[in-house]
Amino acid sequence: MQFLSAGFTLQWLLYLRMSTFEQFNPDFYQSNYDINDQQQTSYNYGGSSGPDSSSEFENGHPQPKIFVPSEMTQTSNLYAGHILQPQELYTPFSPSSTIYGGDTDDEPSLLEEIGINFDHIWQKTLTVLNPMKPADGSIMNETDLTGPIVFCLAFGATLLLAGKVQFGYVYGISVLGCLAIHTLLNLMSVTGVSYGCVASVLGYCLLPMIILSGCAILFSLQGMTGIPLALIVIGWCSLSASKIFISTLAMEGQQLLVAYPCALLYGIFALLTVF
Amino acid sequence: MMRVGGAIGAGNHIDRFIPVSKLKYYFAVDTIYVGKKLGLLIFPYMHQNWEVRYQQDSPVAPRVEVNAPDLYIPAMAFITYLLVAGFALGTQSRFSPEVLGMQASSALIWLIIEVLAILLSLYLVTVNTDLTTIDLIAFAGYKYVGMITGVVAGLIFGRTGYYIALGWCCISIVVFMIRTLRLKILSEAAAEGVLVRGTRNQLRMYLTMAIAAVQPIFMYWLTFHLVR
Repeated sequence: MQFLSAGFTLQWLLYLRMSTFEQFNPDFYQSNYDINDQQQTSYNYGGSSGPDSSSEFENGHPQPKIFVPSEMTQTSNLYAGHILQPQELYTPFSPSSTIYGGDTDDEPSLLEEIGINFDHIWQKTLTVLNPMKPADGSIMNETDLTGPIVFCLAFGATLLLAGKVQFGYVYGISVLGCLAIHTLLNLMSVTGVSYGCVASVLGYCLLPMIILSGCAILFSLQGMTGIPLALIVIGWCSLSASKIFISTLAMEGQQLLVAYPCALLYGIFALLTVF
Repeated sequence: MMRVGGAIGAGNHIDRFIPVSKLKYYFAVDTIYVGKKLGLLIFPYMHQNWEVRYQQDSPVAPRVEVNAPDLYIPAMAFITYLLVAGFALGTQSRFSPEVLGMQASSALIWLIIEVLAILLSLYLVTVNTDLTTIDLIAFAGYKYVGMITGVVAGLIFGRTGYYIALGWCCISIVVFMIRTLRLKILSEAAAEGVLVRGTRNQLRMYLTMAIAAVQPIFMYWLTFHLVR
């Protein structure tokens, strides 16, 4: 079981690393050259300065971030007589910044950097909870695995509270099921779908199953009340999943066909919960 | 994230081993087709026209032609059969994950053996037909629908229900297979009902009937131990 939780965290960390890499901060090079004082005289440099800075100086628009090669500082002394000092950098965006990076005020927040957007997670959860409302096709545009992983862990936790230690089965079945439905959807739809999108949708639609396993803590589901409840929850999960898939992939007339394999998958989860 | 052509599209390495674009044809189905096809599998007696329409040398997609074979129903039926078998064994307290694995592998092996036997006999009889291997897999997979019906009836109504439902589905699948394969294996004249003499056509007729007759045997063999 330690393997499996390690596997979970490893997957999540890989995902986070990939998303932070894309938001690499371009503000790495910051000059210690104060433009404001140099505005009038800066245009004279055109011929003597290197190609880097000539493209940066435009009429009337001070460029806040320039990489200043060392020879520029010498010429600026000659022409303008302005003594360069390692003073505070002028940037129109963050007056409180320091010289070498560290814009603490306009850095994106940590949650944005790792790609967790609570608003979107909440919207997707609401879409799942209301299977009758038609879904918006654009909500699945960013693949978000945070919500699904939280839901999987919550499902395992509620199963644990009901006395069944079955994290391994939950993990294995979800991986196999995601793979199977990914294959089927790619074969059935005109546009393809990526594995992350399938995993994300299936993970979100696991939410009603968590409610079922929550009920399993309170009373045994093997009687006459449990089986219809399980069937209703399976139907709910698969309808939501197929609704989101249909709207994302623009498949017409195939909702029941997509819902059936999802129902089979959630049926296996329900078997775990009930028996 | 959503790539045109899909993750298993052309240009992918898998394309060399599994003909993905051909497979996509067999999954181009919609709900109406599946409903009609399931109805045909259970009750094929009223259907008149069994021919598949062609469009410039390639068959029309299953979406618009109910006679075309597809792979969605066989695939789903196979998986449902496994789950129903697990459920049936569970109600008799004979369930364990290993038994489910054994059921899955034995059903799969019998399917492969059947398809290979049909391919071999088609080769020996030298039939010029446009039946591909995937078509044969699809036809062999259609009997799982009858098997599921039988087992479910057996779970609800006991052994009598099982025999009645299985008997009905066996006869239906025999009629379905004969009427479908007749058009593909027999020569065109014989398929239209004109009596054509000659050992060649007789052999083909025997082959069609043999393929159809083997279906009920498999259906009984794979389900009788599930119903007590």
